[in-house]
Amino acid sequence: MSVNAAFLRHFRNRRFLSKMAATLCVKLLPKQGWLPLTQSVRHGSKAVTRHKRPMHFIKQKLMAVTEYIPPAPAAPPGAYPRETKSVQEETPLMLILKRNLEKVFQDCKMIAVVQDSSSSAEDMMSLRHRLHKHDIKVKFFPNEVMRSFLNNSIYCNMAPLIFGPTVLIVSNEPKVKEMLKTLRGSPQMTLLGACIENSLLSAEGVLSYSKLPSVTVVQGELVSGLTMMTSRTASLLQRHPAHLSALLQQYVKQQGTDAAAAAATAEEAT
Amino acid sequence: MAASRKATVVLKTVKKIAIQFSAFESNVRSTREFLAKVGSEKARATNINCEVISTVKHDKSEPVVDITYVDGERLLMKGAKLTSSEMLNTFQSLCTAKDPQAKTAAKK
Repeated sequence: MSVNAAFLRHFRNRRFLSKMAATLCVKLLPKQGWLPLTQSVRHGSKAVTRHKRPMHFIKQKLMAVTEYIPPAPAAPPGAYPRETKSVQEETPLMLILKRNLEKVFQDCKMIAVVQDSSSSAEDMMSLRHRLHKHDIKVKFFPNEVMRSFLNNSIYCNMAPLIFGPTVLIVSNEPKVKEMLKTLRGSPQMTLLGACIENSLLSAEGVLSYSKLPSVTVVQGELVSGLTMMTSRTASLLQRHPAHLSALLQQYVKQQGTDAAAAAATAEEAT
Repeated sequence: MAASRKATVVLKTVKKIAIQFSAFESNVRSTREFLAKVGSEKARATNINCEVISTVKHDKSEPVVDITYVDGERLLMKGAKLTSSEMLNTFQSLCTAKDPQAKTAAKK
């Protein structure tokens, strides 16, 4: 009985390959030396475990031999540009934003690009409030939309400005002085460039633009400069006759005073 | 970056940062990113006395980052061929070198 029980336990504790396989392939398997006929399992451990089940050594060898070796690239990944450039379709949101951008560019005479490396919400609010007093609006657009729009329009030279955290400051009238004053109040806003009346200006250009006087003053200066030249030539031409007439007048005056002095002395004598 | 996990920059040992670049050039990207990271609110909050000054020029000059530390040392970085992460790495390694006490205390 005990022998039987032990025998049964032996059977149960050791799994055998299916009897059919054992009987049919009993000659082939030893030649392949593939799977052992008996796999000793003590506790009946499972195939699927929470920890990583240690692979059989032969399986480990198999996995090591059949590891994937990627083909070595002839050139490093960044050496050559991609042959087929991936063109993304424009999402409807991008189209809407582009239309808005177009409108902005058409309406506003002054568009400034400013980089703000840090602005808390309160700073932005106060800046917007200050700019709103002068009727200047602050706009945000995603960089890709901006770049794709600019590259397709005449403002393509503005494209290198659009990098990183940028903000658009737009207004209908070119009120540069007020904008500069408000921007000076917040130190982190860096003015990169502006497009004023369809002409691209750098930061220094914007400064000099703000220092320009108004159009009437400039016209007056131009007119006065031109007339100055002509008036100088006229005065040069008339210098001699003017000098002569002045001398003659002086002479006449002197004659008059001499005659009056002579008449006075004659009266006194008589 | 093995130095610190935080993405913010600690400016305690820095007295002044002056960044100048030419806005329309194409090689200023890394410098502008560096400016964005260094000039952010969090970075400024670490040291309110530190000034971050940025100058925009138009003379096709190289982008230059000039950092003056509290003990007088100057770090000059020419950002034309550098990436922003490289610049940040150098900057932060020098900062930690300058201020070892606070850093080791924080790490412990």
